[in-house]
Amino acid sequence: MKGNKLDNIPSEPSMASFLAFSVHDMKNSVSILIDGLEKTLASVDSVSFPAYDGLVQMNHEAKRINNNLVQLLTLYKLGQQIYPFDPQSVSLNDLLQTIAAQNIELLKSRGIKLEIHVETDLYWHLDEDLVSGVVGNALNNAIRYTQDCIYLIAKENKGVLELRLEDNGEGYPDSVLQENIDNMRSVDFQNGNTGLGFYFSAIVARLHKNHDRLGEIKLENGGHLGGACFMLHLP
Amino acid sequence: MVAIPQSSSMPEMDLSKKKILIIEDFQEMRGVFRGILRNCGADIKNILMAVNGDEAIALLRSEHFDIVLCDFNLGAGKNGQQVLEEAKFRAYIGLACVWIMVTAEKTSEAVTGAAEYQPDAYLLKPVTEASLRSRLHKIWSKKEAFVEIYQAMKEKDYSKAMSLCDERLAFDKANAAELLRTKCDLLFVNGELDRARQLLESTLAERDIPWAKVCLAKVLIKSNELITAKTLLEETLAVNPYFLEAHDLLVETLQAQGDVEGTGNALERAVKLSPNSVVRQKQLGDVAIKMGKLETAEKAFRKSVSLGENSVLKTAGSYIGLAKVCSENKNPTEALKVLGNLNISFADDDGVRLQAMAVEGMVHHQSGNVKKAQQIATELGQLVAQEGINPDSERSMEMARLLMATGKKEQAIALIQSEIKRNPENKALHDNATEIFTSVGMGEAGAELIETSRKEAMEIMNRGVLLMSKGKYEVAIDAMRDARQAMPSNQRALLNLAYVLITYMQKNRPTEDLISESRESLFAANALSPGEPRFTRLMGALNELAASK
Repeated sequence: MKGNKLDNIPSEPSMASFLAFSVHDMKNSVSILIDGLEKTLASVDSVSFPAYDGLVQMNHEAKRINNNLVQLLTLYKLGQQIYPFDPQSVSLNDLLQTIAAQNIELLKSRGIKLEIHVETDLYWHLDEDLVSGVVGNALNNAIRYTQDCIYLIAKENKGVLELRLEDNGEGYPDSVLQENIDNMRSVDFQNGNTGLGFYFSAIVARLHKNHDRLGEIKLENGGHLGGACFMLHLP
Repeated sequence: MVAIPQSSSMPEMDLSKKKILIIEDFQEMRGVFRGILRNCGADIKNILMAVNGDEAIALLRSEHFDIVLCDFNLGAGKNGQQVLEEAKFRAYIGLACVWIMVTAEKTSEAVTGAAEYQPDAYLLKPVTEASLRSRLHKIWSKKEAFVEIYQAMKEKDYSKAMSLCDERLAFDKANAAELLRTKCDLLFVNGELDRARQLLESTLAERDIPWAKVCLAKVLIKSNELITAKTLLEETLAVNPYFLEAHDLLVETLQAQGDVEGTGNALERAVKLSPNSVVRQKQLGDVAIKMGKLETAEKAFRKSVSLGENSVLKTAGSYIGLAKVCSENKNPTEALKVLGNLNISFADDDGVRLQAMAVEGMVHHQSGNVKKAQQIATELGQLVAQEGINPDSERSMEMARLLMATGKKEQAIALIQSEIKRNPENKALHDNATEIFTSVGMGEAGAELIETSRKEAMEIMNRGVLLMSKGKYEVAIDAMRDARQAMPSNQRALLNLAYVLITYMQKNRPTEDLISESRESLFAANALSPGEPRFTRLMGALNELAASK
């Protein structure tokens, strides 16, 4: 497998290193898989090609795997203190538009309407890759649980950036709302929820600091659409 | 239905006329990149491909490209970073060329920010049409915003560059952060340390931004406030341990404080983060030798040599260091082999040849081959005398070491004296000379010789200033010209010459010749150590004179 540039991963044979190696290797394979699917999707017509929706779904799953692997690798590197955290001034409009564009085929095939509400001149200091990972993950969840509508909202409130992702699904179950999401949630294999996404999001939020203030994530039900509402607050 | 409002800040790009180079060793990936670019509107006829670094360099040399999409990992041979370095170093690409580095994961190199050999962007795999589109758009709007500023910087017109930054800062929110950062860098380069400090402190009061902290540390180092700088850098690294520039500056600070062990530790951390830098590995080797950690030194020098094989940034110093370590480790055969490779890699460089000879002589001396060491020392002594080559001070000292060790004391002392006269304020050089004297049991006499040479040089340098204060301007200018000739790489001598010339012109009248002589002397001084406040003051006075003429 090409691309195993692992200078940053320690060479002592430990379980963690083996896992990191494997994750890295799998990520390369998944990258090629996604490239192939994207290429195929671009070359066929969505109406006349019968397996089109199936391919879109496969592409979506491949991207989920990729996102999960990226999150695992990032958490590993953060633990080793070798993750290159890089807060820069970023346009929220560009960031949200890019994430939306990455999911447009899936949204189309599921008949979901996505609205982005953000001022074009809103800029914030944040690590673009990490925050994109958090929002992308939340959007994936919303796509899974919404009925047919999702809002992506970003605005500044008293020196804090508030990112909200709302849907019109059933909302979070009480058990999720009650749990302290800053901690690793117990693994729930039955519902396919490992808690990785929330854990990753909480870690990313807390990495963002300004003077004495820390970022945080919050979950609630309601919002504009009456469903689940995922919030990321960055100082 | 899907309602994604089109972003007003992302108009359609026209790629149809752009000349594009794809550098990627993997055939499938080349196809993927090409397909994505075509979907973005590029004309297939305008896309060229290279499968490795050498092919890429050949194409970059002969063709003009608007966009380069380069995979970081290119298998054997040069990696993407080395291709970029060579293309920039040899000016195959200009400021207008967009270079996008594709990586499998985020690397710490991506966080160094304003370094000289940075691509315009890093793009993480998998690359998609959407991610490429938005990145290209961002890069272009930034290039557009900075085109005049970079031009002014290229012409070294820093005041103009700064006022251009201010103009844009008033309305350009998208580039505000980068404009601010550039302005701070400009203030620093221009030697306006107080203003840079004010701007950085007010920025930091509002938001805790790593680059601003690091830039403030840079200002503090320049102002010789090393303790505060060190605290600030350690603070930054505690939160952002991956910030390479902060590591490099911490190394610089600790080195200036004479803390060898601290320097070594800081370098080891930096190398762990970014193992692929020729320069950093060599630095680590140098410090490790000083600390007597031969194993670390050997590893670092070897890595530096092997990285250098594919890089325009390769340095003779890595080979020299490696040869010395091998010799210390009682392995003269390996040391001589390394020196042989050095001579092949730097075949055209006379200075390197002399240095390699000197180290070769020392290898024989250390392994007890007295005759061979003597023979090389004699040959070297003759070469220095007849060829009139001017090796730099590190190389001269290497030769002095061999001459001293082989009993050619007079020649060695003459060489050391002339080096110290050329650089009377270089502490590292003094330490090196002291060590050479001590190694042959001449510690005391050596210290005296060093001090005498230093004093003599300082006298020559200050004579011009003294003459001037007595109003003897013409004689003062001649004295400073002599001083400059004697000490061509001494910043103070260069600044003093400009100072007497400018003062003379202020008293009399400016002339074309004297203005250009002053300017040339000032630029040479600034090249040695950019951003000295004295340089800025003199440059300002000179510009006034030139304008009044």
